[in-house]
Amino acid sequence: MAWKNYLPLVLIVIWLPAPVVLAQTTEDEQELALVYGDKTTVSIATGTKQLLRKAPSTATVITAEDIANMGALTVDEALESVPGLHVSRSTAYLSANYHIRGIVSDYNPEVLMLVNGVPMTSNFVGNRNDMSVALPVENISRIEVIRGPGSAMYGADAFAGTINIITKTGGEINGTSFGVRAGSFRSWDTWFQHGSKQGELEVSGYLKIGETNGHRRTVRADAQTTWDALFGTSASLAPGSTNTGHNDIDGQFDIGYDKFRLRAGYTLRDKIGSGTGIASALDPTGQMRSERITGDVGWSDPNLTRNLSLNLQASFMHLANEVTSPLVLYPAGAFGGAFPNGVLGAPNKWERQMRLSAGIVYSGIADHRLRVGIGHDDLNLYKTSEYKNFTLMGGLAPLPMGPATDDNLYLTPHQRRLNYLYAQDEWSFARNWTLTAGLRHDRYSDFGNTTNPRLALVWEARPDLTAKIMYGKAFRAPSFVEQYNGANPVAVGNASIMPEKITTFEGGLIWQVRHNLRTSLTLFHHKITDIIGTNGTTSYSNAGEQVGNGGEFELSWDPLSSLRLIGHYAYQKNIDQATHHDSGYAPRHHVYTRADWRFASGWLVSGQINRVAGRERPYGDNRAPVPDYTSVDLTLRTDQQRKGWDVSGMIRNLFNADIREPSKAGSGILYDLPMPGRSFWLQARYSL
Amino acid sequence: MRLIRTISLFLAFVAFQATATARLAVIYAETDEPEPQSFNEMIEGIERFAGVEVIRLALDIRANLPIRLAAAGGGIGPIAVLYPDIGEPYRAIFAKIIEGIEDKAKNKVSSFPVGSNFDAQELSNELKRQDIRVVIALGRNGLKAASNLDKGINVVIGGVVSAPGSELRSGPVISLAPDPALLFARLKAFSPKTQRVFVVYDPRQNGWLLRLAKEAAQAQKIDLVAFEAADLKSAVSRYHEIFADVDPRRDALWLPQDSVTVDESTVLPLVLQESWNRNVPLFSSTVSHVKRGALFSLFPNNIELGRNLAASALGVASGSTSGRGDIQPLREVLMAVNTRTASHLGLHLPSRTQDFDLVFPEQ
Repeated sequence: MAWKNYLPLVLIVIWLPAPVVLAQTTEDEQELALVYGDKTTVSIATGTKQLLRKAPSTATVITAEDIANMGALTVDEALESVPGLHVSRSTAYLSANYHIRGIVSDYNPEVLMLVNGVPMTSNFVGNRNDMSVALPVENISRIEVIRGPGSAMYGADAFAGTINIITKTGGEINGTSFGVRAGSFRSWDTWFQHGSKQGELEVSGYLKIGETNGHRRTVRADAQTTWDALFGTSASLAPGSTNTGHNDIDGQFDIGYDKFRLRAGYTLRDKIGSGTGIASALDPTGQMRSERITGDVGWSDPNLTRNLSLNLQASFMHLANEVTSPLVLYPAGAFGGAFPNGVLGAPNKWERQMRLSAGIVYSGIADHRLRVGIGHDDLNLYKTSEYKNFTLMGGLAPLPMGPATDDNLYLTPHQRRLNYLYAQDEWSFARNWTLTAGLRHDRYSDFGNTTNPRLALVWEARPDLTAKIMYGKAFRAPSFVEQYNGANPVAVGNASIMPEKITTFEGGLIWQVRHNLRTSLTLFHHKITDIIGTNGTTSYSNAGEQVGNGGEFELSWDPLSSLRLIGHYAYQKNIDQATHHDSGYAPRHHVYTRADWRFASGWLVSGQINRVAGRERPYGDNRAPVPDYTSVDLTLRTDQQRKGWDVSGMIRNLFNADIREPSKAGSGILYDLPMPGRSFWLQARYSL
Repeated sequence: MRLIRTISLFLAFVAFQATATARLAVIYAETDEPEPQSFNEMIEGIERFAGVEVIRLALDIRANLPIRLAAAGGGIGPIAVLYPDIGEPYRAIFAKIIEGIEDKAKNKVSSFPVGSNFDAQELSNELKRQDIRVVIALGRNGLKAASNLDKGINVVIGGVVSAPGSELRSGPVISLAPDPALLFARLKAFSPKTQRVFVVYDPRQNGWLLRLAKEAAQAQKIDLVAFEAADLKSAVSRYHEIFADVDPRRDALWLPQDSVTVDESTVLPLVLQESWNRNVPLFSSTVSHVKRGALFSLFPNNIELGRNLAASALGVASGSTSGRGDIQPLREVLMAVNTRTASHLGLHLPSRTQDFDLVFPEQ
């Protein structure tokens, strides 16, 4: 029985040394308790300033401390702890796909990811990056996740949810540190971090270098296995291993002076493995390279005049996604010897983006807080190139390996410009009642205009109880592939497609049961229309519809000042309206719990349990439902909070559960995408 | 390490005035001494020269203290700070205060953690050895340690809420209780219509503070209605009386730092619930109460407090300040605000976020 798997965990917990006998609360502690109250408040009060944030009250916030306790090394690992969000994998490159409230697609463009308010979106397939790039966490101050539609503020792709990564400032880092880490899959990282604040000048820098071979698990059957059965060949490399290695360089620089702020960022992933293959046939030799350069400069005056604050920002991004070693779509021997070296392809793309925005917050009208902003974005996929040895035009046929041109080129360069205007008012129309109404209007150079509203009503019913209901609409912009795809007669781009649309109703209750126990319940209903897909034809169109219902129950409890327990249960059910069948892939049930225990001064142990269950297949996929899984992770770390050494260690997937994420229906990867088994890492950091 | 050793006996010649005393700073590490006291003898020999004043800077390599050159106006010698040997997160409070002290005092600052079983004699000897004339005592433990010191050493006390008479020594006491004048000023800024403030307090702990509060209230045209309570039971009945008669348009309630009358499990929930239900502004001298729903609180700006303590210490040592046993409330403060409570009370908070140092609710 499954529960027997938990027995070792229970035994470990009992065996762990009893907490160091708590010294009698000294007179000094009693005295300081009169000044500060509880210990948590002491930490907050002696830390850096907290500023009023724009984060709406529906955000889940993951702090740097949460990230350290979870033992998360990447943003993807940290996001699994968000209620209603499950981190799955794409079938092509095994890159992370965020399933929020059961909204799922191949490339995952329906979740908007921002870094310090600047979108990461690549216009190729509309997601953060079509290549597998996971972001490191050492330089992250917090991650704010808003479930539900956010287009009324953030525009395109804030559809299923919005994730904002906020990096640390010089004042927060306040020192210099070096770190080194090593772990399973021959992974290692080393990094440097510095931050300082002197008067008005705040500087910070971060640089990390690392590499990993990636987890290697066996894929028993792939797309080529299916072709082999049809053609009587045996070209498939399955059973074979996944390829998830990569080499990394990450850097960030941040300088602020008074109202100015300048940031620069660099993310390089080199020798990226092909996952389970670009066409779902195992490919151990194909390698990719993704290089992103970002910069932004802003001017922010919270006090331009009395009651008026102004924020200006200009940002720039350059993304170069190249194939450095040709991807082997199908291995040598495929298609009855027509491709003795295999079907090879190397599509490359270069994008650059420029975004300008200005916003004001005006609180001069009693009981109102008005936010207005405008912006202009210039998004340019300015160069493409492709080297391949095949053509799909008129059926799959071999060609000499060389540059693809004209009709045979997968995509030509395209540019999109947009202008937008948004307004939002928070109106406290009665004691304890606030109505927030927002609207954003976007004008796109390619697909036209879209307007998206948002309404939220919040009632502070009691000192310990808040109730809210919300309504919103959002859109997911069509990607360049969906609009302009070439060279693939079974998936031809359609320049006249419109954005996907979602309408959501949400209700929530937050109950502070006791000062150390907080619970919340959120229920949602959404309807998605104009879903873009090939829909059984040979080109992209808006045709799909989906309705979803569900909710999230969350709990946060600090039974002792040294122990924190958090947990949540999320339920979703999404039905495809054409087939009246489950939309598939996403878990119906997601349970997450974590305990953080400061068992001795300067030491912390944290354990998390994650259960993902009820993953149905989409219509037409006759495989058994995706197996449920439970994973247990343990982290042990020091928490010196000052100069000297800090060490931490983690065991991930302690009980070596066979974790699988669903493979796309019809991909040929019959037994789903295997995730890492038990793994470890150890880290040491020295602060000057 | 090696670098420190090679420069260990480096003579810095600083001549501030051609005709007056030449000051010589001597930097050395005792761990480098070939024999015990050899450096001391060398330095005493130098001091015998007329017109030469030697400023000793002993490197304590174990404590990893940075070198600090004595500034002009010397003759004070180093400052010692006694602070409680306590765990986190409280330790960080004292670390920040010491940071402020070090920043303000250009002299060397030696800090000594004091546990519950410290050796008074050993400490006195160490202070003598380092020629320390003024001590800043932080916390109850620091205060206790300082009270056992040689009477010739000046003591400034900080990091305590109150300092009952029996432990007083020379020099001022800077309490951690925020200055009522500042509290009332902030209250008026939030709610100009408020004219009356209620408070329940234990006279043994806060008698001194309430005297100052009454003066401050008068100056700001506030009617301070103060109830004494000697135990929790009478405190609770006082609060019930207050809420029976309270007028939300004119009244506010103040929770002082008081272990008798402000109890986390009975008084606090009662006061929070009633003040919310009756729309009465509630402010506190304890910052965690803001997280629980109080409108605002003032709490220590530890670095500035450190600077103030250093300034006091320098003043006392140079004889310019006496203030024997005077206890002063805290003026170096930061402010915490609960925006949900402010909205509930219908108070208009400006978007000037930098006025608030800490904002609750946190998300």
